[in-house]
Amino acid sequence: MLTMTRLSKVYRTHLIETHALRGIDIHVREGEFVAVTGPSGSGKTTFLNIAGLLEEFTGGEFRLDGVDVRGLDDNQRSRLRNQKLGFIFQGFNLIPDLNLFDNVDVPLRYRGLPAAERKRRIEGALAKVGLASRIKHYPAELSGGQQQRVAIARALAGEPRLLLADEPTGNLDSQMARGVMELLEQINAEGTTIVMVTHDPELAARAHRNIHIVDGQIVDVVKPLAQAA
Amino acid sequence: MFRYYLVLGLKSLRRAPVITALIVLILAVGIGASMTSLTMFLVMSGDPIPHKSDRLLVPQFDNGLMDGSYTAGEEPERQMTWTDVENLLRDAKGLRQTAIYGIYPTLDPPGDTVQPFFESGMATTRDYFTMFDVPLIAGSAWTAEQDARGADVAVIGEALARRVFDTEPAAVIGQRLTIDDRAYTIVGVMGEWNPTPRFDRVNGSDATGRPEQLWLPIRNATSREWRNNGWTNCSGGEVGPGYANFLKSECTWLQYWVELERADQRDAYRDYLKAYVAEQKQLGRMQRPENNRLHDVREWLDYTGVVSNDTRMATWMACGFLLVCLVNVVTLMLAKFTARAGEIGVRRALGATRAEVLQQSLIEAGVLGVVGALLGLGLTVLGLELINGRLTGAEDFYVMDPALIGATLLLGVTAALVAGLLPTWQACQVRPAIQLKSQ
Repeated sequence: MLTMTRLSKVYRTHLIETHALRGIDIHVREGEFVAVTGPSGSGKTTFLNIAGLLEEFTGGEFRLDGVDVRGLDDNQRSRLRNQKLGFIFQGFNLIPDLNLFDNVDVPLRYRGLPAAERKRRIEGALAKVGLASRIKHYPAELSGGQQQRVAIARALAGEPRLLLADEPTGNLDSQMARGVMELLEQINAEGTTIVMVTHDPELAARAHRNIHIVDGQIVDVVKPLAQAA
Repeated sequence: MFRYYLVLGLKSLRRAPVITALIVLILAVGIGASMTSLTMFLVMSGDPIPHKSDRLLVPQFDNGLMDGSYTAGEEPERQMTWTDVENLLRDAKGLRQTAIYGIYPTLDPPGDTVQPFFESGMATTRDYFTMFDVPLIAGSAWTAEQDARGADVAVIGEALARRVFDTEPAAVIGQRLTIDDRAYTIVGVMGEWNPTPRFDRVNGSDATGRPEQLWLPIRNATSREWRNNGWTNCSGGEVGPGYANFLKSECTWLQYWVELERADQRDAYRDYLKAYVAEQKQLGRMQRPENNRLHDVREWLDYTGVVSNDTRMATWMACGFLLVCLVNVVTLMLAKFTARAGEIGVRRALGATRAEVLQQSLIEAGVLGVVGALLGLGLTVLGLELINGRLTGAEDFYVMDPALIGATLLLGVTAALVAGLLPTWQACQVRPAIQLKSQ
């Protein structure tokens, strides 16, 4: 599903060079739930941005669902992002003046799906996260946990091949975080590949595999005890 | 997607309401000011009779004295003497020709319901009505025979007909109206006629004014010894006592027009004027060097300064003001779009291309433009109302025609799109990765 080979990322200014990723090799198989961990500044968000085609990489290779993304122009990357990826952000990133229906509708609009198909998917996705009854509500009328569920519904509505989650429970209390995590596990169990960046060792422990990044390098790839058992 | 972006554009009006209101207001004020000035300019600089404006000509001679008052190269008189008018009318070298001067007689309506009153009118020839396409809704102009003998006949306007006779225009034909104690027969009634700008008699009539409501044969007016109600210049020599001497004098007080059959006959008419002036010189008149002019309608309006330098300057200043408004709108739009960088980042992450962000942002700017233009249109109408209110007898002189209304809306949208280019370009440059993390 996702293969990075000797992938590197260097941020350059006229004064300094910062090596955010130093030739990492990562392979995520279809159906996996992978947690990427590491301290702040280790390069895990850079990894996620590159995986999500939001940033270019400097060296190495990256294949997403069999597509070599090097050399794709901005339009091609946008289309690939829209068709194959779903995003869940720490800050939810819902659009405040759109109701839940319209928020979930955003990625579907760019895919050019017919109205009936979009409606079916939106209602299905919101039902899946337990918010079918609040379809006309606005984000500000929801709790943090509910907003993150809307973000998950938005990601799911596009029926992505890969779900990228950046600290999905970072802004939630423990009870809400548990609910969101259970939802992600359910989605993964239904076949969606998930790559999740997190600081939280408890959440990481629930993934199939943990990739630990320090200073832009993978220092450890472990199978959590829970999964190993 | 256009409809989707349009809905988003309308929803965006509610976002950052203070900035949105300021953008719309500044745009509206800029458009209102510029379109008010532009409307005035276009109305005054328009061609009032486009199908024949190049065939309707005003001749001018210099009949001033060759004395200390003469300055070489100065402009000749805009009006003519009675002597020249009579000569030119008699020669009749054009397809049609007419002379005009203002009169201000007393009208004494039949019956007791309407009291006698003064009425501005014009003394002219029968060709006037055909030359200037004056619409007669009942009757006709007086005949050539009535013209020649200065008969007691009159053409009146519909408003005057209804005021004096309180009946339909057709029923007025043949009725008698007392003008300065003499009964005149009404032979024609003029309908709605609003040449814009007023061009037939620039000297003595306001170019923003409405046409008079009373016309009499010019020889009837002179036989009654009515003086000109307008500009009369008698600097061309001594004037003896009495009206007969006034008619013989070098006083210029009549507006003369000639209509040619074809525009290419203009040179031939110029040659005629040259020969006429040479002939008059032999008779002892027109002592100054020949200084003839021949202007068509548009040249005449330009020559007489109907579009004043003040109007031109005001139009340029209003356009400059619009430019200043646009600079302010750019700044405000930058603020509005910068506040939306997070949303744009989300949309980019979810699959929007730069072109799609560009379309959405431009349509949003266009929506602001339409709202600003509609408000600007209202301000323009209000501005023109205020200006019309200061004109006498022409409350609807400066009006916006459908083309100008369309141009206003187009200007609003274009201005907003131009002002939105930089903010929109900036919006397209949003790097989603940075925006998403900073949310």
